[in-house]
Amino acid sequence: MHPMPNRVLLIAKRDYLQIIHSKAYLVGLILLPLLIGGGFLIVGQGSKGAAKEQRVAIIDHTGVVYSAVVQAFQESARRAMADTSFGPRVLPRFVFEEVKPEAEATSQLLALSDRVRQGELFLVLEIPSQALRPTDDPKQEPVRYYSNSTGMDQAVFLLPDAVNAGLRSVRLAQLGVDERRIPDALRDVTLVSMNLVTKDPATGTIAQGEKRNIVQAGAVPFFLVYLLIMVVLFGSAPQLGAVAEDKMQRVFEMLLGSASSFELMLGKVLAALGASLTSSTLYIIAGLAALAGMAMFGLAPLNVLPWFFVYLIADVAMLSAVGVALGSACGSPQDAQHLAFVLFIPTIIPLFLMTAVMQQPNGVLAATMSFIPPFTPVLMLMRQALPNGVPWWQPWVGLAGVIIWAIAVVWAAARIFRVGILSQGKVPKFSELAQWVARAG
Amino acid sequence: MLAVEIDTVSKAFQSVTAVDRLSLSVAEGAVFGFIGPNGSGKSTTMRMIANIIQPDTGTIRVFGRERSGTRSSEIGYLPEERGVYRKMRVRSLLEFHGKLRGGHNVTTEVNAWLGRLGLAQCAEQKVETLSKGMSQKVQFIATVVPEPKLLILDEPFSGLDPVSADSIRGAILEMRSRGCTVILSTHDMGVAESLCDSIFMIFRGKKVLDGTLKAIQRSYGSDTIRVEVEGGCPMLNGLPGIEQTKDLGQVQELRMAENCDPQRVLETLITRTRIVSFSVVKPSLHDIFVRIAGPQPEEAAVASHAE
Repeated sequence: MHPMPNRVLLIAKRDYLQIIHSKAYLVGLILLPLLIGGGFLIVGQGSKGAAKEQRVAIIDHTGVVYSAVVQAFQESARRAMADTSFGPRVLPRFVFEEVKPEAEATSQLLALSDRVRQGELFLVLEIPSQALRPTDDPKQEPVRYYSNSTGMDQAVFLLPDAVNAGLRSVRLAQLGVDERRIPDALRDVTLVSMNLVTKDPATGTIAQGEKRNIVQAGAVPFFLVYLLIMVVLFGSAPQLGAVAEDKMQRVFEMLLGSASSFELMLGKVLAALGASLTSSTLYIIAGLAALAGMAMFGLAPLNVLPWFFVYLIADVAMLSAVGVALGSACGSPQDAQHLAFVLFIPTIIPLFLMTAVMQQPNGVLAATMSFIPPFTPVLMLMRQALPNGVPWWQPWVGLAGVIIWAIAVVWAAARIFRVGILSQGKVPKFSELAQWVARAG
Repeated sequence: MLAVEIDTVSKAFQSVTAVDRLSLSVAEGAVFGFIGPNGSGKSTTMRMIANIIQPDTGTIRVFGRERSGTRSSEIGYLPEERGVYRKMRVRSLLEFHGKLRGGHNVTTEVNAWLGRLGLAQCAEQKVETLSKGMSQKVQFIATVVPEPKLLILDEPFSGLDPVSADSIRGAILEMRSRGCTVILSTHDMGVAESLCDSIFMIFRGKKVLDGTLKAIQRSYGSDTIRVEVEGGCPMLNGLPGIEQTKDLGQVQELRMAENCDPQRVLETLITRTRIVSFSVVKPSLHDIFVRIAGPQPEEAAVASHAE
């Protein structure tokens, strides 16, 4: 008889080959990068599609600022187009329409609002007469704009600066100051984000922090963590349905004559790990090649890639073991679908925390949550991938917690699997699953 | 030498006792038949011998060794609820099962068995394309590669057509001739009578029969008259000393009470009708099974009142 490791490897090899030859895996392999990159592509294409013409109607109660506001708006748009920090930008062509204030202000606004509803206008800007003499009085009438915009349009982003710049220009002119004579006094300065200054512990040399790249600071960690989440889910979740299907086909009792339930489960977990490592390795190689092709290889987070794989292994081991255990408790693949949410919890909750972690990667919330084992792989990796990283000991402590947790989860899953594969009837409640875990022998 | 020794083994599932202080010995090289009604504990006992589940109390020894949780290539187990990976090709599947059971030269054995059971042409087909009978033969091969010393077959003939059943029966006998011990369960009393060296019956978790067919029948004595008469069953009413009459269609079986004289029965019958055949026989295994597991008089009475 083969010793146990051989039997586990035989089961793992069979399951691994079945997974990677399945249509679902191959489709997922192609779908995943499309999901990650496609969303941005669609947004980009969408904004291009929207980049036609946007008409802005301006009701100028001052009677003198219309031209200045339009000029400032166009200047802001030109500067926005020139700023490629977030990649190339496409703006709509803004067309302005001056509307003389009428006595029936409300009726006039209603008519203009109707034009917005009909898509004729994008936005109506109403500048009150007091706008040239602003005070601290909160009752003073503000500049208002009326639009159906969600607030995410480029015009809305540009509007506050453009209106203020236009008003400031007119105010200065009214004070007799020629703006062209004091250009430097009004010029904006450039702000550059830098990495922290570091000291080499070996040589004692102090190194100036490099200019922080916005892509490195945000996008790369985000993509890496997103990749981890997607690969973990694609690798683990199918185990649930596959085991339920095998149970329905009465496959397990035949196998139990040759291998123990623990060996069966371990083989399935290893197969899931193999499939996840295969796909993630392909993605990482493709990503590095893409960065090299764009002469941006320096952005590759090579220092955290080993951690990526360590967390991937731990996460897939945990979730696929849970998937196998729950699948064994199901009577059909349909039952399995109802339990799939359990697998998503450890990856979805960290997703909700990602913004907070990116804002303050070493804050109390981020640090605390990243030490909770089910969330450690996603959150600790995110913190490590951010430019200034984490204290050196934190990933190791996190990893120790994850390993202990993973062993406990696999142990509990094995006990559920042992009972589940021979059980029949309705899907057990979670309390019954807990009893299966506690059952001795 | 004994292949299997079961010593006061019990197994309960929640409040239901599936096997109750069961003791049993299976001689090496024998074909041992498990019979019993559904839910009587046959499959549970087989699962415990195969080490799929563990007894709550008692011990099970296989070839003299007590086992707990370990797997052995000495045992081949074909469960009642059986299935195989349907997407795999037949040869790959059988090689996988063979290697999992610890086989080394499984390809040769798989090829031999595929030829032996007439499946050589299907070796490269996916299992899902096979008929039910062919699938069951594949499952049987998965159980016997590599060749085990102890073969446990839970309902191996269920759902098989007579030709396929004969193939499996032939394979079982061939394995016995090579020294393999076979434990099989069946609901077909004909199979148990013709194939098994020893028969064991379990009822409500307890052993109720254990021995060779002849010994079991001997314990019941020759208490049955098998008779064929002109006029059929109505001619048999009110015969002296007859406890029960069973109409089998062309033939009727009469169970004699204690101290009943078959000679007097024959004399009475001669006065009533023309007799085609009359023989005093031992009860069949089917009859013994029904006597044990059929509704008891008081249960039948309760059932008839309920109706």
